[in-house]
Order: sequence, then structure tokens, then C-alpha cells
Amino acid sequence: MKILRVLSTAAIFLPMALAAEEATITVKKGDSTSIAIKSFGGSEGAAATKVVQNDLELSSLFLLSPPERASFSVGATAGDGSIEGTVTDHAGSVVLRKSYSGSTRSAAHKFSDDIVETVTGNKGIASSKIAFTSSRTGHKEIYTADYDGANVKQLTNDGNISVAPALSHDGSKLAYTGYQSGYADIYLIDLNSGARNRIIKFPGTNSGAAFSPDGGRIACTISKDGNPELYTIGANGTGAHRLTHTAAVESSPSWSPNGAEIVYSSDERGGPQLFRISSGGGSGRFIPTGYGYCTEPCWSPDGKKVAFTIRQGGFSVAVLDLASGAVRIVAEGEDPVWGADSRHIIYSNGSTLTLLDTVKGRPTPIVSGLGKVGEPAWSR
Amino acid sequence: MSKYPLRLALVVVLGLSLSACMKKKGDQYAGVDGDYVNGTPLGDRVEGANFFGANVARGKFSPVQFAYDSYQVSDAEQPKIQQVAAAMKASPGNLIVAGFTDDRGTDEYNRGLGERRAQAVRQALINDGVPAGKIQTVSFGKEMPADPGSGDAAWAKNRRAEFGVVK
Repeated sequence: MKILRVLSTAAIFLPMALAAEEATITVKKGDSTSIAIKSFGGSEGAAATKVVQNDLELSSLFLLSPPERASFSVGATAGDGSIEGTVTDHAGSVVLRKSYSGSTRSAAHKFSDDIVETVTGNKGIASSKIAFTSSRTGHKEIYTADYDGANVKQLTNDGNISVAPALSHDGSKLAYTGYQSGYADIYLIDLNSGARNRIIKFPGTNSGAAFSPDGGRIACTISKDGNPELYTIGANGTGAHRLTHTAAVESSPSWSPNGAEIVYSSDERGGPQLFRISSGGGSGRFIPTGYGYCTEPCWSPDGKKVAFTIRQGGFSVAVLDLASGAVRIVAEGEDPVWGADSRHIIYSNGSTLTLLDTVKGRPTPIVSGLGKVGEPAWSR
Repeated sequence: MSKYPLRLALVVVLGLSLSACMKKKGDQYAGVDGDYVNGTPLGDRVEGANFFGANVARGKFSPVQFAYDSYQVSDAEQPKIQQVAAAMKASPGNLIVAGFTDDRGTDEYNRGLGERRAQAVRQALINDGVPAGKIQTVSFGKEMPADPGSGDAAWAKNRRAEFGVVK
């Protein structure tokens, strides 16, 4: 009898308890989650608060709100060389508590990424790096920066033509096309040590390097056979393997996230179009897009989309959904590259690099005032 | 004998012309369905022969011009090829062919298009009897335009392949 009473009491309260749980967690992918950012304490508190605020805004996943109306609250203490960060939910329970070391900016970016991933389940882009070309010095050189445009640094000083940068997904290596030899060759830079080697220097033109997902191989265009063809080659410049055999121009390879396929542009049908090919080689399969000039494709990290440039008078950035074949134009500009969240892209319009949320269409200029900028690359 | 000979004939004619169209299209897609036997592989580069170097003479021959988005060497440009071929067959030196585009395309595709133009010129020279190993190619894409302006006249000047004779 007593047991029955206890059980029936529990049965009354249990649904209420469950309902209360459901009410506090209101996260939906694609909608904004309301979040409050309390001013961080510590000697670096003000600076760190600004970085996290900017990161959460740029993610397009949050609505910054006062604490009473927020589903989650962010607080931290930021000192010299470390940040202690905490995220609590509406009920006050801690959902994230972690320490981050490094410079204030980089520690704050890591905290932002954890906030994004803990609260929404999406991958954060705040710690990622970009590379791009700029003609600021009068010559095209390679520059690097944080994803939000901070920390712009000139990487090469070749005084020649240095273009087509590519970043390995982990951001540790950069490949680019340089003309110091008088020909287009591909150079590899270890970004940690600064060491540089000319790794792909076959006769003719070598360009368009793209790192495989594990960083072990590079896809690129090599013309040593008498025609520009798609190749993959070890990231140390050995073991070249030819993929295409056409009379046309193959350019701009981009790897699928599992490394099994490569999307590229080829003009074998007349104007340049998108094709896909097994990364082991074989025949390229045409990808219809409905547009007559499609170049510089980039495969999204989630494998579902390809961003690319079309030309209709001027240039536009388009996104192809691979499953449905639907294509939509998302911006005026060229050379789109995906971020780790498969949602943001960075593209160029000649004088500005822009970060764009392709879901909500929000553009944010991140690099400008550096002359002609272009060919952005993005670590994941 | 069919009751409607005229209609039958019409259908037959239509069918034949359609299949002829499709055969023509098929040739263009040789690279997708089949294999393409490529042009002539490049030999090793000459050490120290940089297109911009003091040991390369760039003004000797007129550049070959190209149509928009094309790498075909037109009949009108053939005399320039013949002139270069004659000179290079008679000389022991090497040649660098540099390909360029106008600025209306995207950067990396234009590097490929410029290279394809340089290699089309190289193949034309080989067909005219110049030894394949004497000719190197390089592409600058839309860099270093011959005419920095805009408009059809400037763009036409920039779509070119230039010759550098290694001294």
C-alpha cells in the first residue's frame, strides 16, 4: 500500500519534472539562441569580453540578450595568459566550465568555439585562420589573418607574383603558387617553423594547390604533359598521380571531406563547368548547374554543398546543393571558401574580403584597405 | 510498301539528322567518356632561363592573339607561328612561350587558360617542325596585361601568347 502511494505520488510529479526540463532547453538549429554575456573579470576581462561578443555575433547562432531573458549566460575571468570560462543555463546549472591558455585573443576564440559547440552542437569557427593575396606592396604577396580579420600579417616577401594560397585543414601548412623561378611553381610553408620549400616544380605551370582532408596529399593543376591536367601529389612533392586526360583546361581542385572525391572546373564542354572525379583517378562527371561559366569550386566540410564562382557580366558566388542539384546565388563576388561549420563562407569582391552567413545572408566585411585582395583560403 | 511514303521518309530524314547531331556532340565529350591522347610532354626547363631574366629576349616576335575564352590558334595567326618556327629551327637556342588572358575571368581558371594558350602555340610550333624539347611554357593568367585599360580593344591585346628567346 505504501509503495503504491509513493509510486502514485511520483507519477504525479514526474511529468511536471519532465515538462520543466523541456521548457529550459529551447535550442533549435537554424534559430538564434538567446545568450547573455556578463562582463568578464580579470586584467584582460574587457578585451576578452569584446572578442567573445564579436565571435558569438559573427556565428549568427545567438541573440545577445539580458540575463533575465537569456537561455544561457556566459561569464569568465581573463588574466594574463589564461581565461577561466563558464556557461550556465537558465536554471543556473553549469553546462561548461573550462580553462583556456594562450594570448587573450586566442584563448577567447577557443572559449567562443566551446560555447558554440556546447550550446548549439555546431562546429565553431572562431579559432580558424585565413590566408589571402594582397597587392598592397605593389606585388601580389600572401597574407594571413584570423577569421575575423584581426592579426593581418604579411607572410611572403617575394617581390614577384605570389598567389593561390591554400591552408591545410589544421592550419599548420600553407601552399601557394610563386613565380620566383620565372615559372609557376608550388611552395609549401610550415606555418609553425616558417620553413619554406618549393615542392612542385615540373616543367610548365604548377598551380591551384588544395590539401586533402588529412593534409597528406595536395591536388593541383600540372601542365608537364603538354596540357593542364589535374594531379594529386604527396604533401612533400613526391608521388605525383595524374587524374585527368583531356584536351581542356582543368583547374581549382577541391577535396570532398572524406578525401574520396575531388570537385574541379574544366572547360571540356566549351566554357568552364564543374566536374567531380574519384581522387584515385577515372573519368570526370559533369555537374549541371544551369550556368555557363563555373569556376573555383569549394566542397563544404559536411560534404553536402559546393560553393563556386559564376560569371554573368560580373562575378557571383553560388552554392550548389549536391543532393538536390539546386543552385542559389548568395553574393556578388568570387572565390568562396567554406568555414568549418559548413554555413559561413568567405569571398572576395576585389577590394574586400567578406564573411557571409549563407543561412541568414548576413555579410560582414573582414579585410579591406589592403589594395586588391583575393583568393581567400580558410582553415577548418 | 508503306501507305504513307512521304511521312516515312520525313521520319527517316529526321532520325538520321538527329543521330548525326548526337555523334558530333559525342566527339566534343571525348574527355568525359573516353581518353584523350594529349599533346607533347614538356622537356626539362633550362636552368636560369627566367622569362623576365636578362638572358631572355622578349621583343623579337609578335605575340599570338586569341579570341575571348578561347585557346585556338586561328588561321589569321598562323603566319606568326611560321615566322617563329622558321627562326627557331635555324637557331640552337631555346624558346619560352608565355600565355596571358584578359581580366574578365577568375584568377586560377585564367592561369589555366593562359597555360593552355601557351601550349597551343607550342604544339603549333612542334607541328611546324620545331623540336619539342626546345620549347617551355609558362602562364601568367591575367597578370601583367599588355594594356591595363578596359574595353574590347584592351582586352583583345591582353589575350595573347608572348615569345621569349633564351640567349
